[in-house]
Amino acid sequence: MANEILEEKINEEYKYGFVTDIEADNAPKGLNEDIIRFISKKKNEPEWMLENRLKALRYWLTLEEPSWAHVSYNKPNFQDIIYYSAPKPKKVLNSLDEVDPELLKTFEKLGISIEEQKRLSGVESRVAVDIIMDSVSVKTTFKEVLSEKGIIFCSFGEAVQEHPELIKKYMGTVVPFTDNYYAALNAAVFTDGSFCYIPKGVRCPMELSTYFRINSAGTGQFERTLIIADEDSYVSYLEGCTAPMRDENQLHAAVVELAAHKGAEIKYSTVQNWYPGDKNGLGGIFNFVTKRGICLGDNSKISWTQVETGSAITWKYPSVILKGDNSVGEFYSVAVTNNYQQADTGTKMMHLGKNTRSTIISKGISAGYSNNSYRGLVRIAKGASNARNFSQCDSLLMGDKCGAHTFPYIEIKDKTAIVEHEATTSKIGEDQLFYCKQRGIDNEKAIGLIVNGYCKEVLNKLPMEFAVEAQKLLAVSLEGSVG
Amino acid sequence: MTAIIIENIKTKVSTTGKLEDLLISEFESTKNSLFGNIFLREQAMKSFYGQGIPNRKQEEYKYLNIDLHLKGEYTLKNNKTLASKQIEPLRILKDAFTIVVENGVFNTDLSTLTNLPEGLTICSLSEAYKKYPQIFEKHYAQYADINTDAFIALNTAMAKDGVFIHVKKNLAIANPIHIIHISKQDQNSIINPRNLIIVDANAQAKIIESYEIIDSTAKVFNNSLTEIVVEADAIVDHYKIQDEKSFGYLLSTSQVIQKKQSVFSTHTFTLSGSLVRNNLNVILDDEGIESNLNGLYLTNETQIIDNHTLVDHRKPKCNSNELYKGIIDGKSTATFNGKIFVRKDAQKTNAFQSNKNILLSDDGTINTKPQLEIYADDVKCSHGTSTGKLDEDKIFYLRARGLSETSAKKLLMHAFASEVVDTIKINELREYIEAKITIRFE
Repeated sequence: MANEILEEKINEEYKYGFVTDIEADNAPKGLNEDIIRFISKKKNEPEWMLENRLKALRYWLTLEEPSWAHVSYNKPNFQDIIYYSAPKPKKVLNSLDEVDPELLKTFEKLGISIEEQKRLSGVESRVAVDIIMDSVSVKTTFKEVLSEKGIIFCSFGEAVQEHPELIKKYMGTVVPFTDNYYAALNAAVFTDGSFCYIPKGVRCPMELSTYFRINSAGTGQFERTLIIADEDSYVSYLEGCTAPMRDENQLHAAVVELAAHKGAEIKYSTVQNWYPGDKNGLGGIFNFVTKRGICLGDNSKISWTQVETGSAITWKYPSVILKGDNSVGEFYSVAVTNNYQQADTGTKMMHLGKNTRSTIISKGISAGYSNNSYRGLVRIAKGASNARNFSQCDSLLMGDKCGAHTFPYIEIKDKTAIVEHEATTSKIGEDQLFYCKQRGIDNEKAIGLIVNGYCKEVLNKLPMEFAVEAQKLLAVSLEGSVG
Repeated sequence: MTAIIIENIKTKVSTTGKLEDLLISEFESTKNSLFGNIFLREQAMKSFYGQGIPNRKQEEYKYLNIDLHLKGEYTLKNNKTLASKQIEPLRILKDAFTIVVENGVFNTDLSTLTNLPEGLTICSLSEAYKKYPQIFEKHYAQYADINTDAFIALNTAMAKDGVFIHVKKNLAIANPIHIIHISKQDQNSIINPRNLIIVDANAQAKIIESYEIIDSTAKVFNNSLTEIVVEADAIVDHYKIQDEKSFGYLLSTSQVIQKKQSVFSTHTFTLSGSLVRNNLNVILDDEGIESNLNGLYLTNETQIIDNHTLVDHRKPKCNSNELYKGIIDGKSTATFNGKIFVRKDAQKTNAFQSNKNILLSDDGTINTKPQLEIYADDVKCSHGTSTGKLDEDKIFYLRARGLSETSAKKLLMHAFASEVVDTIKINELREYIEAKITIRFE
């Protein structure tokens, strides 16, 4: 019984696996200084940006690919990747009518209808979307409405042109190019991304959102997101991603930087659903992402929420540096792996300021032949008095061929700190299932119910628009995983 | 073949002056006088050289820069200079069979091994190699894998001697067996003590290993390795008392293998020493096994204490419990790294782990890394860790009842430690540890 249902699940198709037939403007394969210059020229970038890119590339060339994560894969060939791919024709778009209809169809398939969004303007729950396809931002909605409040929300490329002072001031301050292998690579080759600035005292009236899509074959996606929340401002930001089905592995190495000034709050939510590869583990996205936020000012807050269901390999640790006094860091995560997926994900909480607090809630679910690891660091620096951390990492195993792992690192150098960590690993309780079945709920639904309850703590943290999507995604990902 | 390779390594590196080179040249000049299989020793030396002394880049030594602490000049010469009266205060158990290992060598004169019960063998490893070749070959170096840790390899290559204990089937030994590892050195030295303990089916034993340094004037690095075999239905109670003071640099590996329905309990008490690293690996190799791992570490000054444990659940229906507690003071660093590893076949496993720390000073550091690595689904595994200061409310409660702040704190620390101390099943030993702890809290 269990096996049949597992089989069924394993045979399930990835529903975002279509390719949009849009002509793309590609750079030649490979990575060298000429490619960097090519990208920089394509993006019409100022000289200082090119210098930064070259510096990062030269540094990257000195590095070796890290291997400490609990994942195994064939290392990507960095010379066999197209580092720039833009949907053609690329021209300035003023209204939706000018957007390539093929592209619009893509968005409809993705379930984000821009037209719908347009029609809904004026309604309270709105989402401003920046869509990034193959590393290039193709459409940012609601830009005008936002600019009335002084909010800047645009593609990274535009920001480099129009707000170079902000880019210069913040880019690379949270995740410097020397941070790690993939951060260095990204700093050299990033093609676009989203940029967001919330001015002092402004509460962003709508959810900001970026939708990432890898479309072209043989490309890597390297985008950068930079969000700056000035004093006493608030922003909630959503990120979603999908990719077509392909036999090859494609690389996604993004960098996300968040900076929260005094009293500001940034809420960053991700629903990651990159193509996970087929049931034999062929193809799928390598998702090697560096995400970090810094609470610069006192009383600031950064909150990460993620639902990770896609990617062949996920390797990401959204982190918070708690520099300001009384600042708060949060990390809520649900990671689901199935078939041959591998996930090594978690967070880092660096407590530097006084009275800083952090909470980590991580829920891992593994099924099929997958491996799912939580890896997290909590560091209390000397002088970070009265720092407080609570971490909870639970893993749920479905089937006896998968693995669930927990690797927390806790480093404490202050005697006033209170740090707690707990982790459990188990399967769905027989008694819970029995209870449901006794009340006439069938096996499938009972599992769905229990898993949803298990993840509720995290799903509750997602903004409304995403919570529904995430819940559906979970249901699809786990349907019939256990008998 | 191996000899040639080692020869090559030797010529290649003899100019760099590293500790590894000193060890390899010492090995070459003494290897023919050492007991046991020379081929194994050469394999081990090769493996040690290949791995090198670990540094912080290696995940397992992330929080311990042992390579820096071991820098310096060393001798590997051991002298026998101890007199009986120097040992007396260390004989903490009156009715125990006591074995004295001086600078890594079994000292028969100082050991009290009269009236051993029928079926209990205690002798030096070199003697066991000659007298009981079958059982020696069957177990010696079969569990501690030279390729998993450089220090296991080093010990396997260079161990001069050690203790062999064999408890025969169905024999329950009432008296504890106490191994006193004692070092006395006036030059920086490296010692590789080695023990092999075999408890046959349905037998029972209580074994205490204590590590002491007396009258020394130089750094003593003890790279000790104990292999323990717990056969089916056997019950083994194992204790390690580490009290080496400031000259002590101790790397202490315990490699335990458990068979069907056996019970193994180990208790590690780290009271002093400049640097202490414990590698405790327990393999649960059959069904119905119970393992208990307890530890207490009290650190002060610039001490570094690093406890590494691995509980390897290989078969179904086993239980493991782990409790490690520490009180950290001064500029010391305490690390706990505990891993629960549940293999694919080990269904119905219950594995629990808990690590609790109290940080008393501004300059102390605590690193904890509890890990779960689980490949079976029908299991219950959990770990928990907490770190904090002494509870203000509890101190207030006690002070409101007339206790001074210091005595309130002392009382709370005692209470904290007692959870581990109470697991000691030998009364005399528990009293000894309690007395030691009381002195430490003064």
